[in-house]
Amino acid sequence: MPMKIAPEQTFNERVQTGLDDSYMRETVRSAQERLYTNKSKAENDLGHWEEWRTLSEQIRSHTLENLDYYLEQLSDNVVKNGGHIYFAQTPEEANQYVKKVAAEKEAKKIIKSKSMVTEETSMNEALEEIGIEVVESDLGEYILQVDDHDPPSHIVAPALHKNKEQIRDTFERLKGYDKSSKPEELTQFAREQLREEFLEADIGITGCNFAVAESGSVALVTNEGNARLATTIPKTQISVMGMERIVPTWEELDIMVSMLCRSAVGQKLTSYVTGLTGPRGEDDLDGPEEFHLVVLDNGRSNILGTAFQSALHCIRCAACINVCPVYRHVGGHSYGSIYPGPIGAVLTPLLEGYEDHKDLPYASSLCAACTDACPVKIPLHEHLIEHRKIIAEEEKKTSLGEAYAMKGFGLAASSPGLFQMATKTAPYMLSPLTKEGAIEKGPGMMSGWTEIRSFPAPEKERFRDWFKNRSKKGSSS
Amino acid sequence: MKVSLFITCLGDMFYPGVGKDMVELLERHGCEVDFPEEQTCCGQPAFNSGYHSDTKKVAKHMIKTFEEAEAVVTPSGSCAGMLKEYPGLLEEEPKWRKRAEELAGKTYELTQFLYRELGVTDTGAVLHARATYHSSCHMMRLLGEKEAPYKLLENVTGLDLRDLPNRQDCCGFGGTFSVKMTPISEQMVDEKVDHVEETEAEILIGADSGCLMNIGGRMNRRNKKVKVMHIAQVLNHREIQEGGEDYADENRAGTNI
Amino acid sequence: MTKGTMYNREAFLNNIAAKLGRERKRSGVTRPIYETQPQWDVMADYSTDQLVDVLKKQCEVIHTDVEETTMEKLPIVIDSVLKKYGAEKAVVWDDPRFSAFGLDSFLVREDVDIWGEAPGRENIRISEQADLGITFADYTLAESGTVVLMNGVGKGQSVSLLPTYYIGLIPLSTIVPRMSQVTRSIHKEAEAGRRVPSCINFISGPSNSADIELDLVVGVHGPIRATYILFDDR
Repeated sequence: MPMKIAPEQTFNERVQTGLDDSYMRETVRSAQERLYTNKSKAENDLGHWEEWRTLSEQIRSHTLENLDYYLEQLSDNVVKNGGHIYFAQTPEEANQYVKKVAAEKEAKKIIKSKSMVTEETSMNEALEEIGIEVVESDLGEYILQVDDHDPPSHIVAPALHKNKEQIRDTFERLKGYDKSSKPEELTQFAREQLREEFLEADIGITGCNFAVAESGSVALVTNEGNARLATTIPKTQISVMGMERIVPTWEELDIMVSMLCRSAVGQKLTSYVTGLTGPRGEDDLDGPEEFHLVVLDNGRSNILGTAFQSALHCIRCAACINVCPVYRHVGGHSYGSIYPGPIGAVLTPLLEGYEDHKDLPYASSLCAACTDACPVKIPLHEHLIEHRKIIAEEEKKTSLGEAYAMKGFGLAASSPGLFQMATKTAPYMLSPLTKEGAIEKGPGMMSGWTEIRSFPAPEKERFRDWFKNRSKKGSSS
Repeated sequence: MKVSLFITCLGDMFYPGVGKDMVELLERHGCEVDFPEEQTCCGQPAFNSGYHSDTKKVAKHMIKTFEEAEAVVTPSGSCAGMLKEYPGLLEEEPKWRKRAEELAGKTYELTQFLYRELGVTDTGAVLHARATYHSSCHMMRLLGEKEAPYKLLENVTGLDLRDLPNRQDCCGFGGTFSVKMTPISEQMVDEKVDHVEETEAEILIGADSGCLMNIGGRMNRRNKKVKVMHIAQVLNHREIQEGGEDYADENRAGTNI
Repeated sequence: MTKGTMYNREAFLNNIAAKLGRERKRSGVTRPIYETQPQWDVMADYSTDQLVDVLKKQCEVIHTDVEETTMEKLPIVIDSVLKKYGAEKAVVWDDPRFSAFGLDSFLVREDVDIWGEAPGRENIRISEQADLGITFADYTLAESGTVVLMNGVGKGQSVSLLPTYYIGLIPLSTIVPRMSQVTRSIHKEAEAGRRVPSCINFISGPSNSADIELDLVVGVHGPIRATYILFDDR
């Protein structure tokens, strides 16, 4: 349940809500254009982008193939450094462990930096249930939290669906804000509000962009500096990672961070890339006294060894989301999952099953812009086809009409006689619907087409008829 | 060079003129063109919908049909791309896989074939018009062909080719996507139509009939006066006198999409 | 040092191995020789002067001011930046390089606090109230305009984070082309079995956010402005 957004609505209802939200659509459109330009520039500045992608893919695939080995190395090193590591199979286990640590520390307030994995586990709610105040410190997450826990619509910029006027109104209504809708002033307000929270927090919870196996380190990539604050001031640090977010050594970290920053926001490096290795040293005066790392499976291991394994290569840069035309029009919430866009359409059914998400693999024109944009070369559109294959052939969740139509198509297109009969008779079958060479109101499947566009009437003389007659005449010009 | 034409379903039934221009183009550049009669469809509708066992039958039929061909040329980046999917589709049947690889290796989209195999950059076409080119997704990304159509269009005499804004964006066709997700597809195609209008083009050129059918169908519905042409029609276009159109086969004047 | 603990590892990793369709791998895994390694070609043959040019250009992109000076003039330039920001209170690392580069007189100023002079967590509070923090760069990355700080003991991570403004002192000898050179040296340390610093920061300019309509706002939770002072120590 925790990954879901607006589960009470059907996919089509959520899409309609998205399509009707002109504010969201304008904000997303302009964001996508900017991100596309920035990423393209970053690729050009770096040069040899395809080589970088090849290297990144190789790193990710080697790591995943040897995931147990590297996680063992990571955990040995975390413990050697004096840290604690907890392997959680389920969201409940992860939350349980974090609650246990919080209770031991008698924590009253927890400050969080952005973490999609804790969205997956609904960790905030779990902690709030035991009376702990949880404060999100990423500006986007903070905006959503203030706005009555509005769910994120993008994995890098979670409040992308809101424009600045909406944010001002929210701050005004719920936080007594009285300035303009200028992003500078809104941001300054959040800084002031959150600084106090950082100083008071007993525990800092962070995500983990990459763990480094060879040293037991956690790397955090941010622009705002909130992850640094969360790991500098509170006495206890808890980092939560999806089990696949690991690299063998710092050398691979270099490559993955280089790709992440460029692909996510077009920066060479974000303002802060922080490598944290265990709790503070004995003579250190800041940094956490206690360090916990929670490694979450939550269905990921079921993806290993399947045709979808490369989906676990994902580094959560959102490059696929930023180029997706479907996402641009329907927005993140339409996907019904905290993971939207192409990677969401691939990942969500894998993590949560097809039952509630069987529309997602079809929410794509298979234009492959996502595959092209992916810095670690996940063949996203191919994974979507693979999902469709499972839905059609194994789960049998498509309509009977479609299944019969495809069977018929397969039969006809593999027997030329049948096929030719169908194409030859089509103009006659469709002639009652044809006006001035076009069909404006088609039957059955065609109605989806003609609802918004004209359909051309088939020609009476097919190409093959022309060609045949032409060769008969022996003409070649 | 001997060339076997794969005309595609849309090309056969809806846009026979495209095939005719293609035949003439290829012949003019020294190719001997044949048309294997047994050909049907590349199978993409079933493949993209996930019906892979149904697609396999189609794939095997197409492999057999083009077994003897030296080169298979098709007026669609998308269908060419589909033929290149066969080896993966037939992965578990080694013998078929090998035959599929042979087919994939000799399959070309029209402009790709002209530019990369025949080394043609100028087809001698003349078309005095403002136009813009929609670079279809499968041609660009699955086939990886981002250059050939532009190289050939550059040398069409009289053609004022305008950059299509956001040209990397899909037009919203996506095969069954266009009928399954109509409201989303509508937004995508509308955005494309708007961009086409921004260029003030009189003609929209494309290399995939599916995309052109989609954008053209929407423009028609929205009463836009932009004419739609397949790139084969443009590359084979002649003008004998001002305003007049000269096709090699005179009966065909006006077979634009 | 506290003693580390580990929970549920074996079942978790056994499951992963099973899903990968093989026995657990406990040894014998070596990193592949990656077929392409473009990172080493980036500015491979650049001189220090060329790297400085790249760095300066990148600093414009990341909204970071750059001052170039000599070792002799370092105190004057630092002072001018303090004035520019109107900073009344500064906090600095307890770093022998201050003395080595002739900044002893700066350290004894009334308005300068040294990290670690006060007891325990008091240092965090002092940094939080300081207007400006000053650290040296342990490495500097030309490509991204980054100062790399190996934090620990006298080199508190708060100094570069909590004050409103930040100055990074960059000896030219610390400049390398990009992150690759630094991560390789950290990797060598780890490989040799040495513990890497508990906090390593790669800092590229002031903090910023684009979470509101993707409009870049400089200055969020960390410093709101930053200046790098480059000086030749070679």
